[in-house]
Amino acid sequence: MNTPASTTASTGTPPIDSGVLLDINSIGISFGGLKAVQDFSLQLPAAGLFGLIGPNGAGKTTIFNLLTGVYEPDSGEIHLASRRLFNRQPHEITAAGIARTFQNIRLFPDLSVLDNVRLAGQLHNQQGLLSTLLRTRGYRREEQLLQEKAFNLLEIFELQDRAHELASSLSYGHQRKLEIVRALATNPQVLLLDEPAAGLNPQEKKLLAQSIQQIRDRFQVAVLLIEHDMPLVMEICENIIVLDHGNTICRGTPREVQNDERVIAAYLGSGLTDEESSPAA
Amino acid sequence: MAKAPNSAQIWTSKTNAAGSASFSDRDSGFVRNTLAGLMPFAVGIAMASLLHFLLPGMVGLYYSRIVTDIGIAIIMAVSLNIVNGMTGQFSIGHAGFMTLGGYMAAFTSYYGSMCLWGNTEIHGGFLGTGEWLFVVSCIVGGLLAAGAGYVVGLPSLRLRGDYLAIVTLGFGEIIRVILQQTGKVIESAEALKTGGLSQMIPPPVGGALGFGGVPKYTNLFWVFTILTVTLVIAYRLKRSSFGRGMISVREDEIAAQAMGVNIARQKVLAFVIAAFFAGIAGGLFAHERGVILSPKDAGFQRSFDYVIMTVLGGRGSITGVMLAAGLLTALPEFLREFEQYRLIVYALLLIFMMLVRPQGLLGIHEIWDLWPRRRTTLPPTASLMHSSTMPSQESKR
Repeated sequence: MNTPASTTASTGTPPIDSGVLLDINSIGISFGGLKAVQDFSLQLPAAGLFGLIGPNGAGKTTIFNLLTGVYEPDSGEIHLASRRLFNRQPHEITAAGIARTFQNIRLFPDLSVLDNVRLAGQLHNQQGLLSTLLRTRGYRREEQLLQEKAFNLLEIFELQDRAHELASSLSYGHQRKLEIVRALATNPQVLLLDEPAAGLNPQEKKLLAQSIQQIRDRFQVAVLLIEHDMPLVMEICENIIVLDHGNTICRGTPREVQNDERVIAAYLGSGLTDEESSPAA
Repeated sequence: MAKAPNSAQIWTSKTNAAGSASFSDRDSGFVRNTLAGLMPFAVGIAMASLLHFLLPGMVGLYYSRIVTDIGIAIIMAVSLNIVNGMTGQFSIGHAGFMTLGGYMAAFTSYYGSMCLWGNTEIHGGFLGTGEWLFVVSCIVGGLLAAGAGYVVGLPSLRLRGDYLAIVTLGFGEIIRVILQQTGKVIESAEALKTGGLSQMIPPPVGGALGFGGVPKYTNLFWVFTILTVTLVIAYRLKRSSFGRGMISVREDEIAAQAMGVNIARQKVLAFVIAAFFAGIAGGLFAHERGVILSPKDAGFQRSFDYVIMTVLGGRGSITGVMLAAGLLTALPEFLREFEQYRLIVYALLLIFMMLVRPQGLLGIHEIWDLWPRRRTTLPPTASLMHSSTMPSQESKR
């Protein structure tokens, strides 16, 4: 992974008007001998909508795990709004403003839909133990606010009628949606979506594509999207980064990426570019 | 989209609706709020007084004693349920906390009485000085147990499931063995005065023989007053941000962290609160008539009884666990005539339950969930996104 990738990297990043919100500077991590992610960089502007694609095992979810503090990068730095995120627990990173959804849905099945959202929202309405146990006035006010916020969000996503049902009783599509609602309830600056379209039918995918753009506009969050559904990614993302075997092989606008030889090779497994078939294989 | 409020507005916007019915009093006076906050305690204490004065006359001392035992068992089971049911950590060392707290409470009241009054007789009547010494002793016992709960809670940050269970089991056994190594009880105030500090090491709480001579202060009033406090706190905890945090740890630790829950804090907090009430329950047990505290009480047999109560009641269900604790404490007493078959019936009941209702009596629900309940009304927010561009779910079937 030498010159070709890095040149694309420097040319591929467009000039950013609203400033960089999430600045990822050549992070990397290895598990034993496996270099899961190497030298990954990304400058995500405020309210940007970027896509992260690549074949299975390319390291996309690992990057999400690095960003959310599940793993600590071996090298490189991550800055959120020019504050360095270093050696932080996942819950601290969420509090700092990075929220995520999960590839395999991870709702709290035995909590109600409302409680799933309130749990995420309570990050910003922390209560003391004593005022909770005495049910003081401040406690009631905060709980009331939290509930209103949660209902507002559920209403926006038209889930309010399901508020009192258990999360596990929702349909698959609704569960995917609730995951996004829950992530938004943490009031993030950056939203990481890990394959939100997986398992949805074409109709639902179309709606999802609209939703993601509207979420970005309405909540003023920057979105980083992992997705295997190419039409969806190509349609909504401003910028796409392609990973293969932990390396960034290409980045640019959807059009540039679609026509890139290395990307086609990575997806179709062509032997055209020998040096691209990674040494890890 | 031009008019759509941004996220900051959404998060701070107070809807003009006065809010749901349950919160309609939020702007009323401080006094009313405080009263509402304390009301459950007042009701509980009133009921405890009624029980205390009426029950023995109605059913006799034997059954009153069983009711006292049920009260203590409910405190134990409900507190254990905070760890096992709500937070999903499998602790089978709850009797360890109970016994530790019980010994500490007994130590405080026994030697406290000696220092104050020169003997260990009961002092004062209902709500007399002796009873207040007893309450303070129970709280001291609870605090020591809470400290132990903190220490035992720490490994839960790294261990899961069976491994944590082994640690908590080991904790109970360690308490048992340590208590066996303690010194002889000092029987008179003179000996206590002349002996000096060296006789306090190891603590004179009776060793393997047990701690006899503890003043018997426990009565229905105090058991049910403390039970009230335990229940109110457990319920308020469950329905608060702390409870949601604990349940989220039980459901999915990784997702909980990603939603900003400090899982380490939640787990340790659960252990500390549960151990505190177990310690107090131990204090009640230590001062109960006919009980001689012994190191055996910390063993896993007793811990297991409480685990069974939480499993039968349903994880996280306070009322379910209360029911189970009541049943499982009363049942053996009523099966006493069939002494030799008692354990068989007990075991068959468990097997039957596991086959028919593995989620416990009430599952994750409370008893009032069984009736159709009034739903919290939705705040009729000015529809922020009414007919606009957000995807409609109608098409989604």
